[in-house]
Amino acid sequence: MVTDADEKALTRFVYREARFADESKYDEWEALWDDDAVYWVPRGEGDFDPAKHVSHLFDHRQRIATRIRQLKTGYRYSQIPVSPMRRIISNMEFFDGEKDGELEVQYNFILAELAIQSTHETIYWTGRVTLKVRPGGDDFLMFYKKIVLVNGDEPITSLSFLI
Amino acid sequence: MGRMDNFSPVDYGELVQEDRIHGSLYIDDQVYDDEMDRIFHKGWVFVGHESEIPKHGDYVTRLVGKQSVVMMRGKDMQVRIFLNRCQHRGNQLCPQKEGNKRAFSCPYHGWAYNTEGELKDVPFAGGFDKPFSDFNLEQPRTDDYRGFVWACLAEEGISLLEHLGRSTELFDRACGLAPEGEVDLTAGWDRHQYLSNWKMLPENDTDGYHVNFTHRSFVEAIDSQYNDFVQDEDTIEGVVIDWGMGHTEIDFSRGYKEPLKWLGVTPERVPEYVAALTEKHGEDKAMELLRVGPPHACIFPNLFLGEMNIVIFQPDGVGGCVQWHTPMFLKGAPQLNYRLLRQSEGAMGPSSFLVADDATIAQLTQRTLEEGQKNWCDLSRGMGREIEEENGNLVSHMTDETNNRGFWKHYKTIMVA
Repeated sequence: MVTDADEKALTRFVYREARFADESKYDEWEALWDDDAVYWVPRGEGDFDPAKHVSHLFDHRQRIATRIRQLKTGYRYSQIPVSPMRRIISNMEFFDGEKDGELEVQYNFILAELAIQSTHETIYWTGRVTLKVRPGGDDFLMFYKKIVLVNGDEPITSLSFLI
Repeated sequence: MGRMDNFSPVDYGELVQEDRIHGSLYIDDQVYDDEMDRIFHKGWVFVGHESEIPKHGDYVTRLVGKQSVVMMRGKDMQVRIFLNRCQHRGNQLCPQKEGNKRAFSCPYHGWAYNTEGELKDVPFAGGFDKPFSDFNLEQPRTDDYRGFVWACLAEEGISLLEHLGRSTELFDRACGLAPEGEVDLTAGWDRHQYLSNWKMLPENDTDGYHVNFTHRSFVEAIDSQYNDFVQDEDTIEGVVIDWGMGHTEIDFSRGYKEPLKWLGVTPERVPEYVAALTEKHGEDKAMELLRVGPPHACIFPNLFLGEMNIVIFQPDGVGGCVQWHTPMFLKGAPQLNYRLLRQSEGAMGPSSFLVADDATIAQLTQRTLEEGQKNWCDLSRGMGREIEEENGNLVSHMTDETNNRGFWKHYKTIMVA
């Protein structure tokens, strides 16, 4: 059973993580990850083994660091300038994690991204996130974030921001 | 398909010159229609690989220009390509992008076809007097080279081997890296939407000049095999090669001194793979295959042998295109698959460290071309130093535009015809 206190604390964490991503606060966002991180945007529903099939994005901790390092070079043209973004999060459901102290939350999102570096069009990304955390950092550290896009099995535009 | 009898007012002889091309070629709807007709509906187009449909009834749907097709494995294990339309009233037979079927049943009036494309059932057949055999699914000309399956919607014209020309050597090089001599495209395809004309994909994917600029963030953040190819102009040993027929390559191997640089590992890191290839070829040949590595080559018009990725270019209107990619697994070397998957996502696709930036540059180019009236794009770099090799290939410094000229030279021969 997830307690009300846990739900509140995890909700605060989810909103903070979303704000860091929206505002491309790379260091703050990266600091939310634990060492065994999996950051995954599969194709479609993601009902496949990422060790056998290709994903849009499948990062372990080291590759997250590489991703951030590249974004911070000042030459990552797909994010120069960074996309202004805001995401709305809803339909949260909370679950106990596999191990003691671990928690899982699933939620829907709508993310508006202004492709300011190229077409100046606003792109709407929608989907469902599965986020797994354990105690650490200021409150939690996340070790699993899977983002299943509604249009994840269609062609998608560049996704080099933090989703 | 489209306009009457293919009349076009566009003067391709004027717009495509040896050292420059006109920007309208990327933004003109008439040009796009002409390309669909002359390149994609009359010429050979890459559809898929046999390994994608290993079992009877497996299929994938793809586009050949504007035409949806189904590539399917029949009961006789033959690979066939069908136009994705019912022969009755033209309804799309198969809306799914992949799967396994024992029959196609049209949802409109229930006409049913078997996996060899034969019409087998017409409901309420009492009112239908024509022979079923006149209504089998249409099959365009189909051929393959080393499992890479191509279609040509025109009944007449050159063979696939004539279209591929000398570039078969590039397919041989890719397949030769597999201990079993075949590649295995079973990882699925990721699809990346570009908001730019499709020709920017073949142009950019074998452009050796942009690497140090478009990909400066990659070069600064990531240690890769490309580091040796972004130094001073005088020290770069890679070359670009125009293979003829619009096929173009960046050949990094002339700068590779050691085996497996292209995979980013030493032989000790992948011992089973090295052993398997050595067992097949002997040590000397295996080591040479492992030094040279895979091709980095665009095969006209829509296939990219992108080192350890296979890539499809799909036009999507004059101002859009989709770049498909899948890692090139090697039959007989499954232990490489995890590495190849992660490298594929790192290099290609919407979240990659490389082509996400290419897509942005392409979109900016497209926007600028759409603004202009008198846009000429210069392609003269290297005209004074490229050399013709014995087999007819034109070779030049990796940063030269020999490849772009090779693409457009072939484009012109098709488009003025």
